[in-house]
Amino acid sequence: MSENYKFDTLSLHAGHIPDKETGSRAVPIYQTTSYVFNSTEEAASLYNMEVGGHLYTRISNPTVAALEQRLAALEGGASALACSSGMAAMHLVVSAICSSGDHIVASSKMYGANINLLQHTMPRFGVKTDFVNPNDPEAIKRAIKPNTKLVFGEVIGNPGLDIMDVPEIAKICNSKNIPLVLDATFNTPYLMQPFKHGANIIVHSLTKWLGGHGIAIGGAVVNGGNFDWGDKDKFPTISGPHFALGGISFWEEFGPSALIAKIRAEGMYNFGPSLSPTNAFHLMQGIETLPLRMKKHIENTHSILDFLVNHEMVEWVKHPDLETHPDHEVAKRILPKGSGSIVAFGIKGGREAGKAFIESVQLASHLANVGDAKTLLIHPGSTTHSHLSSEAMKEGGLTDDMIRLSIGLEDINDIKKDFEKGFKAVKKLNR
Amino acid sequence: MIINFKGAKTYIGTGGKSLDTTKKTLCFLHGSGQNHLSFIQQARFFAYKGYSVIVPDMPAHGFSDGNPCKSIKENAEWITDLLVDLKLKDVVVIGHSQGCLVALELNRILKSSLEALIFVAGSNEIPVNQFLLDLSKENPQKAYQMMVTWGHGIDGDMSINKWPGHYHYGEGSNIMCMNKPTALEYDLHSCNDYSDGIDAAKNIKVPALAVLAKNDQMTPLKSGLKFVELIKNCEIHILDCGHFLPSERPMELNSIIKSFLSKLK
Ligand SMILES: Cc1ncc(COP(=O)(O)O)c(C=O)c1O
Repeated sequence: MSENYKFDTLSLHAGHIPDKETGSRAVPIYQTTSYVFNSTEEAASLYNMEVGGHLYTRISNPTVAALEQRLAALEGGASALACSSGMAAMHLVVSAICSSGDHIVASSKMYGANINLLQHTMPRFGVKTDFVNPNDPEAIKRAIKPNTKLVFGEVIGNPGLDIMDVPEIAKICNSKNIPLVLDATFNTPYLMQPFKHGANIIVHSLTKWLGGHGIAIGGAVVNGGNFDWGDKDKFPTISGPHFALGGISFWEEFGPSALIAKIRAEGMYNFGPSLSPTNAFHLMQGIETLPLRMKKHIENTHSILDFLVNHEMVEWVKHPDLETHPDHEVAKRILPKGSGSIVAFGIKGGREAGKAFIESVQLASHLANVGDAKTLLIHPGSTTHSHLSSEAMKEGGLTDDMIRLSIGLEDINDIKKDFEKGFKAVKKLNR
Repeated sequence: MIINFKGAKTYIGTGGKSLDTTKKTLCFLHGSGQNHLSFIQQARFFAYKGYSVIVPDMPAHGFSDGNPCKSIKENAEWITDLLVDLKLKDVVVIGHSQGCLVALELNRILKSSLEALIFVAGSNEIPVNQFLLDLSKENPQKAYQMMVTWGHGIDGDMSINKWPGHYHYGEGSNIMCMNKPTALEYDLHSCNDYSDGIDAAKNIKVPALAVLAKNDQMTPLKSGLKFVELIKNCEIHILDCGHFLPSERPMELNSIIKSFLSKLK
């Protein structure tokens, strides 16, 4: 009898049932590079993509596949592919769809490496990107050209926390027959499932909340299966003949999973950003508690928002769940469970105050990551952007008083007490 | 390949090889609301094993235009004409679900050039409940989702897949979404209205194979077992999975079919 299991159940079970031979309840770590073929015919079948199976861990692996199938189920997609990092996932998608002469429309407010890949790396290969304001659907529409092959953005932007109006942008992309590709790292499928809002492809940095424990780098592409790649002139890499496999058309042969088939047959084959089976295991271990963690992340975040908004040492607080955030209405509509656990705030006293705060907290870890179970923080003005003047930072949409928090799962009063230590140090500085 | 057939664009999957009429032909017939993609892991497999493979998208299904056929008979006539058009003889017909009913009808019309019949998750009748019939008209998308969930065994619920990274429910419902929205409604009515299955099954004179699914909720095993009893000399296999056994148990199904084919003259 079909049960149609719910999200919390899928987080724990999807992708694995205990195997008959060993009964192993946990997903086994298949730490192997390759797989013995039972016959030459079986080997040929796998190489020809006649049937599914594993032939070499750069292309696929049973532990990694369990993770992929869990992600596909949690997102409600047709198929998924896990890879070595979030950036690898992003590059796999772009390089699978675009060729020299093609164009991308992307959000101007994204994670630095996402911007850099599109702004500096891809143009060297003839793929140009126009960056537009992610919360302006009309601007996105205007930027689309005849050679535009995808629209890309982050559901919740890093670090600015801009929210994309996914249903509106999906409508535009759909009317122009262009896939909408979203980096859903900050929301995870727990807070929002982009395919339900019309997006076509999702990329994840599994390194962050999905893995959730800051122990393994990983990424994934999830394929909605809801995009028509049939226009051979526009999407020759997906629906036209492939250079190998007898000139296969992935779209004709694999339909909804065409993109993932293409990425396995080209991206994983020729670039090879594979995920190690052990890291896949660690990431899956994290996903098991994703619903529980996200609930607590949001609960703690909302409590910290109250704390900061009412704090005398705080100049401003930015989070989409606050009414003062420009995208608050969109956030309420598409992220009703909460808009993630990243908070930015301005500390009174500017750059020096930021530095003092960071150096005085004890529990929160000063580092360049987000989405750990532990509370993290960074002050761009004294670290990543310390070489820039206040004015130059402003031009990049940042201020030198800004501290970015990734709220963890600790006891909320311990987090607040820790932050009070930081504020106390700033007060001393101002005396 | 795409051909113009009866005035409409018609897609015929050939398993990634071009059609060679000198080879033995396997003709796969998809089920209700499906298309050639329900045989993803059979088409290429057999095309690369020296067979000529055709997996037609029935009218209004997959990449084919045209209006959906309105009865099992009409489906069978369409296939008969297609085989003539493609100059294919000595065909082994492999039906899945509704495709089995079409294969039964085909057996009546096509006697001379039919070499063998393979029934996958089949029966001589496929009654459809009124709720699903209504839903297929009012909200086909919802109907796809329900069929995909009922249609899979535990592998669907648990996202277990022989094909790394693939999710039966997400893939299955999107395959169905590729069809024209009216396709499913006509298919389900065609199945529900078909009542000649018993006679057709008794009339089978060619070698037959039936591969049934233990946890089939669309064409229940009980009904499948009654059906195969009507056929003289039918080889029977039962696999531990749901209705969509071409994607749930591709390797097992392929090897059963392969061994059956090897026994044909
Ligand atoms: C929104 C977003 N996307 C992608 C990435 C890249 O992820 P990874 O470090 O796994 O490559 C990051 C990393 O911080 C990110 O914040």
